[in-house]
Amino acid sequence: MTEQQNDPQPCCDDYVRTSRRSFLRGALVAGGAVTATFGTAFTETSYAAAGQADQVLVVLSMRGACDGLSLVVPHGDPVYYQARPSIAVASERLLAKDAMFGLHPSFAPLVPMWNAGRMAAVHATGLPSPNRSHFSAMEEVEDADPGSDARIGWLNRLVGRDGAGSPIEAIQMGGGVPATAVMGPQPVLVTPSIDRVRLAGGASPAEAAARRRSLSTAWAGSSTQLGVGFRSTLEVIDEFAPVHATSATPSNGAVYPRNDLASALQATARTIRADVGAEIITVDHGSWDHHTWIGNLADGNLVRKANEMAGAIAAFFADLGPLADKVTLVTISEFGRRVKENASQGLDHGHGNVMFLFGAGVRGGRYYGTWPGLTNTVDADLLVTTDYRSVLSEVIVSRFGASPAQVFPGATTARVGAMT
Amino acid sequence: MSIAPTSPSPHDGDRPDPPDADPLSRRFLARGVVAGLAAAAVSPALIATEAEAVGARHRRRCRHWHRCAKHPKHTCRHQHRCKHLGHRAVPTQPAEPTGPTEPSGPPSDPDFVRSPVPTAASLHLGNRFTYGMTPALHEQMRQAGGPARWFEQQLDPASVADPKADPMHTWWLSIDLDAATIGQRNNDEVEGGWVAMANYARWCLLRRIYSQRQVLEVMTEFWENHLHVPLDDDGVFTYRADYGKLLRSHALGRFDQMLVAAITHPAMGISLDNARSTKRAPNENLGRELLELHTVGRGNHGEDDVKASSRILTGYRVDLWTTWRSYYDPASHWTGPVSVLGFEHPNANADGRAVTEAYLTHLARHPRTAERIARKLAVRFVSDDPPPALVERLARVYLDNETAIKPVLRALVASPEFLASAGQKVRTPTDDVVATHRALRTEIARPTSADSAANSFLWHTSSIGHSPFAWARPDGPPDTGRAWSSASRLLASFDVHLTLSGGWWPTKQITYRAPTSWLPADSVRFDHLVDHLCRQLLGKAAPARLVTACAQAVDVAAGTTITASHPVMRWQFPLLLTTLLDSPDHLHR
Repeated sequence: MTEQQNDPQPCCDDYVRTSRRSFLRGALVAGGAVTATFGTAFTETSYAAAGQADQVLVVLSMRGACDGLSLVVPHGDPVYYQARPSIAVASERLLAKDAMFGLHPSFAPLVPMWNAGRMAAVHATGLPSPNRSHFSAMEEVEDADPGSDARIGWLNRLVGRDGAGSPIEAIQMGGGVPATAVMGPQPVLVTPSIDRVRLAGGASPAEAAARRRSLSTAWAGSSTQLGVGFRSTLEVIDEFAPVHATSATPSNGAVYPRNDLASALQATARTIRADVGAEIITVDHGSWDHHTWIGNLADGNLVRKANEMAGAIAAFFADLGPLADKVTLVTISEFGRRVKENASQGLDHGHGNVMFLFGAGVRGGRYYGTWPGLTNTVDADLLVTTDYRSVLSEVIVSRFGASPAQVFPGATTARVGAMT
Repeated sequence: MSIAPTSPSPHDGDRPDPPDADPLSRRFLARGVVAGLAAAAVSPALIATEAEAVGARHRRRCRHWHRCAKHPKHTCRHQHRCKHLGHRAVPTQPAEPTGPTEPSGPPSDPDFVRSPVPTAASLHLGNRFTYGMTPALHEQMRQAGGPARWFEQQLDPASVADPKADPMHTWWLSIDLDAATIGQRNNDEVEGGWVAMANYARWCLLRRIYSQRQVLEVMTEFWENHLHVPLDDDGVFTYRADYGKLLRSHALGRFDQMLVAAITHPAMGISLDNARSTKRAPNENLGRELLELHTVGRGNHGEDDVKASSRILTGYRVDLWTTWRSYYDPASHWTGPVSVLGFEHPNANADGRAVTEAYLTHLARHPRTAERIARKLAVRFVSDDPPPALVERLARVYLDNETAIKPVLRALVASPEFLASAGQKVRTPTDDVVATHRALRTEIARPTSADSAANSFLWHTSSIGHSPFAWARPDGPPDTGRAWSSASRLLASFDVHLTLSGGWWPTKQITYRAPTSWLPADSVRFDHLVDHLCRQLLGKAAPARLVTACAQAVDVAAGTTITASHPVMRWQFPLLLTTLLDSPDHLHR
């Protein structure tokens, strides 16, 4: 199913897109004095400069290492049922089946997307060699630059590819500390919610202006990380302002389930609707570290998480409506879990996993990857046949015309074929 | 966003709880770690519903604070329907008399007269080894005979009286209860485990604000972050306060002894699954993190080391979710020869406690551990990227003194690298809240309800991004500028500063100083007022930059005469205070 190819050079002229905003920003920065004059005038200029993102990539991290073999079940591989006597998902309950695979029944809300060709899965993906430490695997996956200690995440490289960037080109919707994927020299916005992006103490425009003048004076010359963060913060406030003006109510009658992922995706959809130029939005979904009680379809650790995930993603795309035509969502988890269930009806740390692709540019309705076949031994892993960077490379080439060589240095990527 | 509050509780009766068969690491992510982030997503989960309620109140009260442009007396928080919002400013009255209006005679505030500014060196020492310089701390240093002697005195905390912070552990019952009772109270719904943990975080924060033994507090936090046991890990609520107190007792002692105490403590065992590890299937979670996080660090050990490490640690058990009894079980201990990073032992005895102790002592004295501890201390107290030569020197002092901590701290404080590093460290969210209370000299009293400041103020730290020991992963929270410099962090800090400067929230069982109490004289020039406030809040004379910033914030000229009735001392005063607290001078240490 996969064919090797040399380091692709897809970044031909056809793909080079300079968004209007990037262009204007470049001009602005070249014009100089941006950080020195935060007055009303600058505010207006920067509103004018803020603009659409032609494409949006949403990266959903399934933290804790989800069990890809439960989410996309290889019902055609008999070893799956031998290795998982108490937790296997019965073949007849699977959705969107082909000869080998089927989706977990919790994904019912997503089947319309699958059938419409807007959802795909790539199996047996992951890091080239096993890394069973959550921290170090997440770092390796998200840094995606083996051998370098520069500590720059792949999304930071992606958002930095076209030079001067706005600090809301990449947004981490959740948490207070930047994840490895977004860390790096390009400023990004990390916020637990939309509501948090406000400056206290500036109720009226005049007061806000005085406050900003005052803060800028106080921070003049501060060159620490926080000093850099401060300057980016003032830009963030300006450029993010239209999001506050956008209704918080989901569009198109979308109804989100009540869970953290759904809240984050709802905020993501609202941000996309406001069209402030955010190209990359990252969202986390935790609690996938199921060493015990994977459970069954009635109840268990896995079905709970899968329900949350499917409901939230379905609502997200419903909420986006026609805007979904420019939004691609990709999921990633730091590693997969073992083939064989353990004595606690759980699964320990393994290697290969599944990645999902949704939305714009996805050649959906089918399963991708090279199935390596399962082995039923105590510490057998699902082997990795597709480097996760091959999948991500296709996404960034397809949606942004970005250069995989720049975003994933040193990676030898192979064609997966899941993106147009 | 993550940390789904799916916290397995003892009520999860339908959940199999297989005791012995967890061959690999388990639950540090179990409840939903948020890998690269954790913080703000985590803390609200910890204080779930209370936090939501409190947060909603907080937003109601604080987000929309405004004043009327026409009626200076009008200050309110009802932004949406307030008629004053439509008012325009009236033409300004005739200008204040201009020209120099030096206060005549000595200022009336004794502080202003008697309290010289700390020296740059004492301010630096204070900012790094306490939670914020205050006039009282400056006085404590003077009483001790100078910063150096003060530091020495602080290294012997028993010699420092602490009448205010000492009784605070009695403010929350669960801090001193035994595990069985805490577990029972959780079962009986008298006090949920998460509440007990929130109380513990509150106690720690209050000690940081009010204790006279600041170096002990700083070092306790340091070790509690290093040997981190997340408060909301399943079941740790029963033993976590006891664990913290244990680390406190070792915080200025020896690392080898502290390591033995910590790794064999039930809280650590529960958090990293050693409490259910057996010889049949040694759980590798603690064995791995002990090497990767607590001692030699990543890249210095292999998978065989992890296996042997986990085998050595078997035997320390806890009866989870039942009696919470902790005990050593020889029947659970794996026997046979072990070899880890130069540690060799026949390990023939079913009672493996002596082997464990020897093993942990070996790890504590390993050169890679020395380097790791030295580096971590240097990151906390010197800079995010400390000079390798300093790390090497500190590691040598650590090894030369059998892992004793005080000699390392003395060497660190005396180093030129330390002296040259003033103002470079970013205050973490918890540092920020604590330092802000110290700067504003709030007085928080024994709580009487959930609304009491001692309870509710925990929300401020999580709103900025992190509350004590809430970091969901076992690696402990980061202590670098790059982790705590996001826009949302800064905006949340600004919000908390303004809220506390105005005394708007929390309001119960807390006393804020009245604006006029900050006035150094009946009548004072604005720039002198700023300078005075800067000395009081930040421990130093006001740089011109901050005088200008303050003047811009409240829109008055530097030479303006300020009296108690001036708007600056009334509705504008919160803005003036917060301008200093929002500055890099306060947000760095």
